[in-house]
Amino acid sequence: MKKMWTIAVNTFRESMRKKTLYIILIFALIVIGASKLFSFLTAEEELKMIKDVSFSAIEFFGALIAIFASITAISTEIERRTIYTLLTKPIRRSDFVLGKFFGVSLIIFVNFILTTLFFIGLLLFKKSIPDIEVFKTLLLIFFELILIGGITLALGTFTTDAFNIICSFFLYIVGHLTSYGKEMIERTENIVVAGLADMLYTLVPNYENFNIRDKIVVGISVSWGYVGYTILYGILYTCIVLLIALYFFQKREI
Amino acid sequence: MRRKGYRYLISIVVLFVGVHLVQVQIDYRKKIENLESNLLLMPGQIAGSLVLGGFKGLAADLLWLNMEEYWHKGQHYKILPLLEAIAWLQPSYILVWTVGGWHMAYNIYAEVKTPEEKQYWYQQGIEFLKKGLAYPFNANKYDIYFELGWTYYHKGKDYPNAVKYLEKAVKYPHPEYVDDVLAHAYEKNGQIDKAIKQWEFVRDNYVSFFDIATRMIHDLKTKGKATP
Amino acid sequence: MAIIQTDKLTKHYVLGRKKFVVGLENVDLEINEGEIFGILGPNGSGKTTCLKLLLGILFPTSGEARIMGRLPDDIEMKQYVGFLPENPYYYDYLNGPELLLFYARLFSIRPDVAKKRIDELLELVELNNARRLTLRHYSKGMLERIGLAASLINDPKILILDEPTTGLDPIGCRDTRNLLIKLKQQGKTILLSSHFLSEVERVCERIAIFHRGHLLATGTLDALNKQYQAENLEDLFVKTIYAFDNQEAVKTGEPK
Repeated sequence: MKKMWTIAVNTFRESMRKKTLYIILIFALIVIGASKLFSFLTAEEELKMIKDVSFSAIEFFGALIAIFASITAISTEIERRTIYTLLTKPIRRSDFVLGKFFGVSLIIFVNFILTTLFFIGLLLFKKSIPDIEVFKTLLLIFFELILIGGITLALGTFTTDAFNIICSFFLYIVGHLTSYGKEMIERTENIVVAGLADMLYTLVPNYENFNIRDKIVVGISVSWGYVGYTILYGILYTCIVLLIALYFFQKREI
Repeated sequence: MRRKGYRYLISIVVLFVGVHLVQVQIDYRKKIENLESNLLLMPGQIAGSLVLGGFKGLAADLLWLNMEEYWHKGQHYKILPLLEAIAWLQPSYILVWTVGGWHMAYNIYAEVKTPEEKQYWYQQGIEFLKKGLAYPFNANKYDIYFELGWTYYHKGKDYPNAVKYLEKAVKYPHPEYVDDVLAHAYEKNGQIDKAIKQWEFVRDNYVSFFDIATRMIHDLKTKGKATP
Repeated sequence: MAIIQTDKLTKHYVLGRKKFVVGLENVDLEINEGEIFGILGPNGSGKTTCLKLLLGILFPTSGEARIMGRLPDDIEMKQYVGFLPENPYYYDYLNGPELLLFYARLFSIRPDVAKKRIDELLELVELNNARRLTLRHYSKGMLERIGLAASLINDPKILILDEPTTGLDPIGCRDTRNLLIKLKQQGKTILLSSHFLSEVERVCERIAIFHRGHLLATGTLDALNKQYQAENLEDLFVKTIYAFDNQEAVKTGEPK
């Protein structure tokens, strides 16, 4: 447990020494720029746009950080061969993988908190007190980012970096289009095809579940029940990808 | 260590069953809470939405900004396709419908010359508003009902329809002026009793409308007519 | 009872269906407690493969490797093992003490013990005056030295070194050699691989010669010289390898 934490903290520290923080800076600039851009709109329109831009930016840059931090987490250790010095220590391979996962999660968390604080600050500056629905949206975005990180980490245990990046972004897009898939399934009449499609629908990470921001910004509220189930979904799916990561990393020869 | 593989496999399958069950719950809740993205209307547009991925709201915002620009330049017709696109991207953004309906029934209405054209754009505005109402999440809010009621009342002088929609608007949380307009509409529609009742309601509930409501009730009771 | 032991240890690198490259073939090794044992061989002879199999970084195709009687995936066994990889490279944003502390944590060494140990080790590898310098600014020799210190952080009973002297200047080589002898005097078992013959000759009591994944010869230098009628290690090395290649050529019928 302690060793896992040591690896997690080391992963986190390493990414902080890299350029991760610049991404947050870009985020800040975009949001500030956007808010200046909208100032000719009515207050209601402006707030909607600030929220749209901020939610999208928090998610998109969060996803970028999650994917790149996860990719480098394991493959850099292998590339510069520091992994030899880790796996020859009295740590389990599972400790290594989970340590990496928690390290990446820590990176995602810190980035998420910083961008969120920035966003809330901007809302307050515009004299709008963020309501509970805003926090629900942010909470779901956070769990989505953790899942994205976990998936990329798992892919990294058995694929190359290039393939991993493509796969991760592909899943990111497909995972946001699941609702279309669902409608298609409901319209399909062939039972076999519908069954297979339904299975695929379960297997693909359903990122669209986490996306309630389009509804929140226009004033539709979302129940805690929905938020709770979606968080449960995120946790379960993250457990699955961690098991996949462990399975492949246990067998991995370096 | 390497022989434990099947255990991982079993755990993964079991967890996927769990994921499936949770997903069923989520889908159910999406349905009852109106959280589904009602987008799959035109197959040709799927390609566009692929590109947009999870950023439909942003796309709608960009279009909205363009719309504002055309608006300020007075290029009213250019706004129309944008309105359609925004409505498609984010049908739950209620401003699109109300602004769009108003835009057609008022701004373009004012710009065209012939009475036929004016009538045409008035109808277009009404239809656009009704299209917005077809989405369940918009049907639970006063906004579009009020816009419809007002357009019927003010632009079309179609008082029966005005009353019909304004009565719907006041069923949902709404600002004070909605009740005020409804009272006027009752009167114009010849429902004097209802108009008096409505004014009494306004008088008793909204301080800022107290004076005007009192005057209206007095005029209606004495002259049978209050709205100039 | 040997402290390190391999039993018909075999590693094939699979390339495709029925295609593979031999990494190691039927290797039986026994290394005794307290000795310095050298694995010799040209590049690609299976030295590193053998060490990786012992440490559980690779998994054997067949056969097994044991350290202190335990299989490579045994976590507890690794508490007693120190390892220095070839051309070590570390987290270059850390400085020396931070790096050593990181590894100390992985061994669950108590912070106060670790602190004392880090001071001793930095003294030992003569990096005490570079405490604040991050590894990014280290020279190759300094990296090799901090690597050695890192591999000693847990005061291991068994020290496994992969090419410990590549990249070192003659003085660095001599220092390392002296250090190894000192460590042996403390009762540690040292297993090192090298293709520097003179290095091995000076410190190792027993050697094993690897070639193309096969273990060609093992024993004390004197005994092997006698057996192969060689004059020195270099002569021995060349003779064993030639003998093997000729034998293989006869077997497969390819002209040599």
